[in-house]
Amino acid sequence: MLAINSVNTYRIPQKFEYYKPRDLREALELLNSIEDAKIVAGGTDLVVDLKYRRVVPKALIDVSELSELRFIRTDGNYIEIGSAVTMQELVESEIVKKSLPLLAEVVESIGSWQIRNLATIGGNICNASPAADSVPPLLTYDAELELASLNGPRTVSIEKFFTGPKKTVLERGEILRSIKIPLSQQKFGWSYVKIGRTSFDLAKVSVAVLLRAEDGIVSEVRIALGSVAPTPVRARTTEKSITGMSLERAAVRASELIVSEIAPIDDVRSTAWYRSRVAKILVRDAIWKAYERFLQVGDKNEDQV
Amino acid sequence: MVFEFIGKSLPRHDGFAKASGLIEFTFDIEIPGMLYGRILKSPYAFARVGRIDSSLAEAMGAVVLTPEDVPNVLFNPRLVSIEEDTFKDWRILTKSPRYVGEPIAAVAAASEDLAQRALEALRVEFEEVYEPLLDPFKAMSPSARPIHDRVQRGRQWIEVRNNVAAELKYSEGDLETEEKKSSVIVERKFHASRRYHAQLEPKGAVCKLEADGSLIVWTTTQTIHNTKILISQVYGIPMNKIEVKKIPIGGGFGSSIHTNLVTLIAVGLCLKSRKPVKLVLTREEDMVHDHTSYEFYMKVRAGATREGIITFGELENIVDIGAHQIQAYPLLGASLGWFVSLYKWKALRYHGKAVYTNKVPSCAIRGYGAPEITWAVETVIDEIAEELRIDPLDFRLINYRGKGEIFWGQGPTVRSIIRSDGVPELTSKCSELIGWKNRGNPKEKTGRYRRGIGVGRGFHTSGAGGPLSGAVIDYTGAIIKVNEDGTIDYITALQDHGGGTLDAHAKIIAEELKIPPSKIRIVWSSSSTTVYDVCTHASRGVFAGGEAARRAASEVKKKILEYAARILDAVSPEALRVQYDKELNDAVIFVEGAPEKRISLSEVARVAWQRNWGSISASVSYRATVAPPSFTVYFVEVEVDTETGIIKPVRVVAGADIGTVISPELAAGQIHGGFAIGWSWAVGDEVVYLEDGVPAHRLSLSDYKLPTIMDLPDDESFKVVFASTYEPYGPFGAKGLGEAASNPVIAAVANAIYNAIGIRFYEIPITPEKVLKALKGGD
Repeated sequence: MLAINSVNTYRIPQKFEYYKPRDLREALELLNSIEDAKIVAGGTDLVVDLKYRRVVPKALIDVSELSELRFIRTDGNYIEIGSAVTMQELVESEIVKKSLPLLAEVVESIGSWQIRNLATIGGNICNASPAADSVPPLLTYDAELELASLNGPRTVSIEKFFTGPKKTVLERGEILRSIKIPLSQQKFGWSYVKIGRTSFDLAKVSVAVLLRAEDGIVSEVRIALGSVAPTPVRARTTEKSITGMSLERAAVRASELIVSEIAPIDDVRSTAWYRSRVAKILVRDAIWKAYERFLQVGDKNEDQV
Repeated sequence: MVFEFIGKSLPRHDGFAKASGLIEFTFDIEIPGMLYGRILKSPYAFARVGRIDSSLAEAMGAVVLTPEDVPNVLFNPRLVSIEEDTFKDWRILTKSPRYVGEPIAAVAAASEDLAQRALEALRVEFEEVYEPLLDPFKAMSPSARPIHDRVQRGRQWIEVRNNVAAELKYSEGDLETEEKKSSVIVERKFHASRRYHAQLEPKGAVCKLEADGSLIVWTTTQTIHNTKILISQVYGIPMNKIEVKKIPIGGGFGSSIHTNLVTLIAVGLCLKSRKPVKLVLTREEDMVHDHTSYEFYMKVRAGATREGIITFGELENIVDIGAHQIQAYPLLGASLGWFVSLYKWKALRYHGKAVYTNKVPSCAIRGYGAPEITWAVETVIDEIAEELRIDPLDFRLINYRGKGEIFWGQGPTVRSIIRSDGVPELTSKCSELIGWKNRGNPKEKTGRYRRGIGVGRGFHTSGAGGPLSGAVIDYTGAIIKVNEDGTIDYITALQDHGGGTLDAHAKIIAEELKIPPSKIRIVWSSSSTTVYDVCTHASRGVFAGGEAARRAASEVKKKILEYAARILDAVSPEALRVQYDKELNDAVIFVEGAPEKRISLSEVARVAWQRNWGSISASVSYRATVAPPSFTVYFVEVEVDTETGIIKPVRVVAGADIGTVISPELAAGQIHGGFAIGWSWAVGDEVVYLEDGVPAHRLSLSDYKLPTIMDLPDDESFKVVFASTYEPYGPFGAKGLGEAASNPVIAAVANAIYNAIGIRFYEIPITPEKVLKALKGGD
């Protein structure tokens, strides 16, 4: 009857249908025919929401074992990751380790080993949390999201995917099939800086940076932030302004400009004031760290983004 | 002293079972035909309930328990004060909920899912919903609505005025004169927020009725006997018809120091349904709706002469206790005790007030006020020393209460003389290890990352015993039985929270009898098969319980020697010696100088059985006549990132005076754990309430964060130093540790932060947000 009495985290205190389709086609058909169906993969976010009754779906469609969503492959131009690939599989993937070191580093910092064995990259993206750890690196990679539906596939840039907290451009009947990351011929330095309350927490603020430089001048930079706006953000204005600057100037300028690209709020983890203040520092730190990596990696990794 | 077993590192008796998951907790108990319970919690912080319609739930096959179904008596869940000092303001189920989550009704059904559905089918009318009082200062205003009109103190009804639940004033010496003598006076206000215990196991209970009508209870409790007594008092069942079984608990930290409401509700459901009932809180219910720490608002004023002699101390202590009393009145006394016992105030004044608010009732959390009081006092002490330009360590050594002084174990009625004191030894060893002399001056520290070293000195009592009976109940007992093969059954009511208390007891018994601890079984006993023990609280497990075990072992030893003298034909038991024989892995009893006059303990037991001499056993009830302090001195080095406000612990040197160290590794583990919890109080999370009295957002462990092993110093950077003291009243010289391990941590951390950045914080937790604001100014 009353909200606090309807939560029971020992059980999932609600009824729903459960489907485990054999292939993607069947999953799409189910999704199309059932109103209010939810896709579930690892369930690390969804099951918590079910227990708290933040979502009340008619049915769950379990895609966690669909082979069409469980692959990591590369054709030399792209690395493509199926949406039901678990975080731990990403951590252990040679392809990811070799070519996407930023993503590898970030994913390894997510949750615990137990959580990483359940949580999937597609779930982390589609849950559309502003604090989703995997998203800032994917933003800097200019990742493209392959969406599948009975009407055929479409591709959306990850930057256009999120429309608000827990909101995306996914339409009814659509499933995130894979994440495509274009491979660049250029070598980047990378960094991911995150602040949480403990080492096992969602981010108060997170920053991912990819950077190239020539003779101490920024030749290309990509910056993305988490937990500082309704969606994870790519800091395009800042990137543009600091390209061509010396590292010293770029770091200072980025720190000044970044505030105009974020809109943080007060929540359980921190305050808007603190987030703005610290985002400035973390962007500066992340740029320097990426530059140091850039100098270290040199030409070691052939296919690295 | 040379020991055979004490001080040795031996495997824990329950170590494998715990590590492998074989051990059973309350939650794991399943009984055929058992029902599963759920509690209907008040969604309002302050309201009046009208009709409760349970027809839908009952139609589903559930048993429903409403306030009408349980005895209409007031009680206090904590039985530690004597009856006339026990404040009673609780009911098992209430029609006047005073905090969000207060139980109004309960259901039990054949499955967990059915119980949940039945719970949701209950219909409750709320006649009135009042604006909750969440701020203790607002609650004290004469115009504030009374949270309780009247409560019972013992058997007397007393009126509650201005929502003040209990009050304690005390003064000693001539404060005005001492003030005049002071060349430095410092006055500061402190605020310590509410924190969650985060014990590993959420609370729960399983009850069943025996064929003869007796009630069997398994529950998360630090005290099986007080649980038995309270069930008896509330339900009017004779005590010999209640058997509370001892079952492992996943930590307590004070959260199960009293009889949990969940236990009383489970009993009610069991009595009504006549079926076994299991009622277990979810983690979220446990943390949001069941218990938190107390919240302290303190004002400390203290002075010293130019020569560095402390003159006077004043403490004003307003405690927000939430909606009900668990141990508010004794807390006011204990807080005074901690304050008095820290330094040699020549004059002192104390005013403590416990205030009701419409929040979850507070109960003791590791230290019972000592961490908060120690933080406040140790901050002021540092500030006075700085003004006097005296090394804060020297200032402490001149003025602390040590050997020969009176120590207040837990308040005004628990006094004894300090006979063992490792403070000088620990201060000198630990300050050397941390590099105290090179800690530097905060004014001279620059750069983004600044390091600082701080000290916090404190103590905790070992139990609440004393030469006079006082207002606190504290005694314990032990039963030892020698089996017919010479193995031992050790039977005690004393609960082990997980720290290894009972392993320490086994070593103490082993040492007394010179048999290996592996021959001693710690029996999972019950309130029916043990003699009274008050509770595992006040860090008394090893000191009081261990001494009871030693005394029982000593009685058993006397009988063994009598029998051995008969067998060996010695003139008297006094002619015999006992020692541990490695080859036999047993005690051997022998006549010195006569190698043929020698017998093992197991042979004595066998012969006594075969010759019909009777069982070798002892039952001891023991009251400690002192409550010695265990001193701890913490040195902590922190690093502050001045750009983000993030504080990291760099190094810890923790000194502990616990007398003889029974289990060095477990004791060091207690200290690591004590630091972790203290660190979380100093810089971690807190329980915050929204205007409607709901804990703000922090509804689960993903919202309320605790430090992980990654957030704490590694073993290399964490040194533990034990003092070489011997407590004459403890078992083989031992004292307590549990709470002393965390009491000075907040103080040391706060003083270290000051040494790093030159800013003092008077409110905990000291979050990065607060640090950054203090460093950079507001907006």
